[in-house]
Amino acid sequence: MSPRSAARREQWSALGLAVLALGYLLAGRAYPLDTLATPGPGIVPLAAGVALLALAIWQLLAVPRSAPDPGHRGAVPRAPLIMSAVLALYAATLPVLGFMLTSFALVFVAARLMGLDGWWRPAALALGVTVASRLLFGAWLGVPLP
Amino acid sequence: MTDLFVALTPMNLLACFAGVVLGTIVGVLPGLGPAGAMALVLPLTIKLGPTAGLIMLAGIYYGSMYGGSTTSILVNVPGEAASVVTTIDGYRLARKGRAGAALAIAAIASFVAGTFSVVALQLAAPFVARLALAFGPSEFFAFALLGVILLANLTGGSRVKSLAMVVTGVMLSTVGMDPLGGTVRFTFDVAGAQAGLSFIAVTAGLFGVAEVLATMAQPAATAPVARVRFRALYPSREELRRSVPPMLRGTVLGFLVGLIPGPAATIASFVSYGVEKRVSRYRHEIGTGAIEGVAGPEAANNAAAGGGMIPLLSLGLPFTPSTAVLLSGMLLMSVTPGPFLLRDHPQVFWGVIGSFYVGNVMLLLLNLPLVGIFARVATIPQRYLMPGVLVLCAVAAYSDNNNAFDVWVMVGAGVLGYAIRGLGYDPAPLVLGLVLGPVLERSLLQALTIGRGELRELWSSAPAAIMLATAAVVLLAPAARACLRLWTRGRASGGDHYS
Repeated sequence: MSPRSAARREQWSALGLAVLALGYLLAGRAYPLDTLATPGPGIVPLAAGVALLALAIWQLLAVPRSAPDPGHRGAVPRAPLIMSAVLALYAATLPVLGFMLTSFALVFVAARLMGLDGWWRPAALALGVTVASRLLFGAWLGVPLP
Repeated sequence: MTDLFVALTPMNLLACFAGVVLGTIVGVLPGLGPAGAMALVLPLTIKLGPTAGLIMLAGIYYGSMYGGSTTSILVNVPGEAASVVTTIDGYRLARKGRAGAALAIAAIASFVAGTFSVVALQLAAPFVARLALAFGPSEFFAFALLGVILLANLTGGSRVKSLAMVVTGVMLSTVGMDPLGGTVRFTFDVAGAQAGLSFIAVTAGLFGVAEVLATMAQPAATAPVARVRFRALYPSREELRRSVPPMLRGTVLGFLVGLIPGPAATIASFVSYGVEKRVSRYRHEIGTGAIEGVAGPEAANNAAAGGGMIPLLSLGLPFTPSTAVLLSGMLLMSVTPGPFLLRDHPQVFWGVIGSFYVGNVMLLLLNLPLVGIFARVATIPQRYLMPGVLVLCAVAAYSDNNNAFDVWVMVGAGVLGYAIRGLGYDPAPLVLGLVLGPVLERSLLQALTIGRGELRELWSSAPAAIMLATAAVVLLAPAARACLRLWTRGRASGGDHYS
């Protein structure tokens, strides 16, 4: 990645922090500040939001025209993106379909995305991990699983 | 004190053994790290009960310090950050055919430092806890604030980014009920968020899920491992003699660094290496495969792990992600660390300390003969290990509150962790901000209420004033230095203009 695009990335991350701080401050307006003698639940959110906003501005101003590359590649790789979507699907379906089915699918897809070729080996790994987890946590330790 | 022997019951010995083996494996494997691993096994440890559960968690914590050196020496791949510096001389020693001796010295140094730090912990923690009984909200606020500011300065990389992560962690800690009045904040009518964001779910996401995503983006190649015979583990008399001074220096240095908030084990190992390069009789050999470059840093990172337990056990304030997970485990088991831990739960307090002694002996006995097996763990392709980590993360997150919302939190934290790491942000300050946020908020509001709104109450006592002044200096010194540099540069260019 060129120094210029690294600098742009730094600026975008600072802007992201500023947007987060502003959103948080806006949402925090719902909570009263009261007085310093009887401080309300809005005091710390206000202080934290202002602090993050100040840090974001500081970072934005401190970014040189060509910042050092933080180590991220130019294009976002596909596998983590797909995995993030699969994880979101996992969280959504876990209470509906239960632990066994969703965890089997999760491990299977993850193994395939990590380069485990074919169908049998990812399926065997997924079955092994899911059954072992169910036995260890669900049956032996009594951890309630969906 | 007799409670020390609680660690010797069969159940606790088994928990200690499981913890140190798991810790060694986690230390050997690059990526997950002790904090992530501890978060993943929390559901298991809760079922064991407070003493055995915490012994197991502590075993993972210091076991990982031992394991990290194995792959550093044999494969040139550090299992965790605290062993990075060991690769420099350790791997060169391995290439000279002295891998066995380097591994043995690393294990002995870890044992010596671990034992020293436990003795010091045993003596210091009750004393600090008694001292902390005199602490009020203003002192706790000042200490926690100083802690997070020092942490942001020591994590390496950008100070502004570290501070931003600490503040983000504090912001996330405000989700749910406020610690004094019980007002529900930032939940946006999501019922699962009323109890706040699950610390375990956030940690499992930031360290576990994010690591899996990062591995998917850039799969690491598995390296070949040098074979080590048991006979080759004996260091020569010369190597042993040369190892003693750096081992002792590293032990004392590491323990002192461990008391400072931040990634103490990593910093301690680098500081020790730097000291050896300056003061060792064989400093000209360091960097080319000298035993001092292994003995010092390995002693230092283990001693630092013990030192880091003092603020946790005696004040209830964790300053590393691993001790933060330990704190979370304690709270889940209804054990509140801090000044009253020794009074309310003496068995837990002394049991955990006693397990450190036992664990150190176990690690020494395990690491010497089984070093080859542990090193082979590092050669298992990650495509077989990482998918399983995802399921462990989900179990850890779900079982915290038996709540599907926490699985969403884990997924969100994982994606966030992957993204921020790519942008050069360290997730460790965020985790500590999340843990220390409620402490900061509660102590600040209590101090203000006690002082009837007078801000002076925050620095009314000498310890609080000293800690706040130190925090202000640490926070403002870099900014002042930058302003001064700009001013001098401006003057210089102005002078050039007029000349």
